[in-house]
Amino acid sequence: MASLRTNVWVYGFIVAIYVTLVGWWVFFFSIQGDRLVDRIVADGGVADAVAIEALQAATGESAHMFLLEGGFLGLLMLGSIALVLRAMVREQALGRQQRNFLSAVTHELRSPLASARLYIESLLLGRVPDSKRERYLEHAHDDLDRLSLLVEDLLAARRFTEKGVEVDPIAMNLDELVAPLVERLTDLHRASGATIRFERAGPLPVQADPGALERIVDNLVSNAVKYGGEAPQILVRVGAEGDRVVIEVRDDGPGLRGEDAAHLIEPFVRGGDENVRTRPGAGLGLFIVRELTEAHGGRFSLTDRSDAVGALARVTLPLDRGAVAEASHG
Amino acid sequence: MADASKPSGSKGAPRGARLLVVEDEAHLAEVIADNLELEGYGVEVVAEGTAALERIRAAEHDLILLDVMLPGLDGFTICDTVRAEGHRVPILFLTARGGREDRVHGLSLGGDDYLGKPFDLRELILRVAALLRRAEWWTESQQTDDSALVLGDARVDFRAYTAQVGDKGYDLSEKETMILRCLAERPGEVVSRADILDRVWGYDAFPTSRTVDNFIVRLRRLLEPDPRNPRYIHTVRGTGYRLTP
Repeated sequence: MASLRTNVWVYGFIVAIYVTLVGWWVFFFSIQGDRLVDRIVADGGVADAVAIEALQAATGESAHMFLLEGGFLGLLMLGSIALVLRAMVREQALGRQQRNFLSAVTHELRSPLASARLYIESLLLGRVPDSKRERYLEHAHDDLDRLSLLVEDLLAARRFTEKGVEVDPIAMNLDELVAPLVERLTDLHRASGATIRFERAGPLPVQADPGALERIVDNLVSNAVKYGGEAPQILVRVGAEGDRVVIEVRDDGPGLRGEDAAHLIEPFVRGGDENVRTRPGAGLGLFIVRELTEAHGGRFSLTDRSDAVGALARVTLPLDRGAVAEASHG
Repeated sequence: MADASKPSGSKGAPRGARLLVVEDEAHLAEVIADNLELEGYGVEVVAEGTAALERIRAAEHDLILLDVMLPGLDGFTICDTVRAEGHRVPILFLTARGGREDRVHGLSLGGDDYLGKPFDLRELILRVAALLRRAEWWTESQQTDDSALVLGDARVDFRAYTAQVGDKGYDLSEKETMILRCLAERPGEVVSRADILDRVWGYDAFPTSRTVDNFIVRLRRLLEPDPRNPRYIHTVRGTGYRLTP
């Protein structure tokens, strides 16, 4: 922050010197004609109207030239300063984002690590009553699951940015894949007070990678649970719209709160200040959704709901026309 | 061999002390609370920053275990706020942000100790016990009758955390006051640096024995007529310090 402010001051100072200099030269040449005439007269020479006009015209031209060239150079200078400052502002934003990311990942790695370790140490030290042993083991297991999910997300994000996304599409029905998944997610998120409803219109044949689709739905639902406020009411809907199938996840939380959706989808971006963490996560979920969706020729969007308060995440994928034709003929 | 399930740090720690665990990770909060309850403490868990601030303000606890990254209000702000309001309850930071800068920041805001996640269960229990012992010693010594120390022209008021030297008054920090109290409890005896660290900072304190020396230098400058040739606070080489009023 300090370096940017210092630079703004330095550039401001340079611009001020430049404007003063150019201004001085323009002023100097604008009065130079009269001064030359005065000088000729003072030295005892004769200055007739023609000579005076010629002198004034010549110095006037010089003043114009300085004004034009000075102005042009000044614009170039301002332009380059603007470019440098913009680069610095971007770098700062990037630095802030990286710090936020590091902070989030540190927290996400260390918290489950710390609790898994304490559960296991408590067991090893014989500090756990029999009635709680199983619970401790289950919790330690959940913590390790959370850790491995994070590591998978980190690796996936790295792979996506370096090598692009690889998916392995097969012919399948979207509604048949999502229905049991939503059931599983309902059980998983019950403890957090979330209610998940499922609406389907089928069959919805698509060419898609089942693992990738599960990941998409899982991430969108987890996101709705995290950011959907207290005891969120979540609706997962799958259906067809023209030649596309659509997966929608709606929540009744506070929505995007004015945050830029495109920014929130970027990797390692999480809403708000990392010190005041409202929800767990490393800021990778939506990025992974977008990358996987686009790898299927689909589109992902995140907006505020138009029908009510809350956020609407929408994934559209191409309908598998071959399968549709086959079904209607078969 | 001591029973492994009972860390030795609990020896001498006040049982029944009331602890507040401020932690938003449910699993971590559970396992910490269970283990501290097993040590005989009463444990209350709060998962949100603003609620934690209210609970600390209620002044019902003997020690706060405070996470930094919290929903609502972060731990650093909570610590800063309660210290500014004059609450002296010991605070042990438990946080994933274990970097040196964060440690220094946490301690400079008035935190008493700092433990980075993941940490060892036994270490947590030992540190909690040490902080409670220290707090108990301080509370007890503050309740005794001798609330002042006179060194020549200088008069230290342990309760007001002030020193009057001639006609000039100075404010003392809590640590400075505690060090003087620690020395004054055993006048004429050598008090080791380790003893001072244990009393004033707690078990396996983050500061080193050099820190004690730095505090002594400042106290001498304040209280001694000639700090280079101290009359009251003497260094016993290789061991510690001796106070001769």
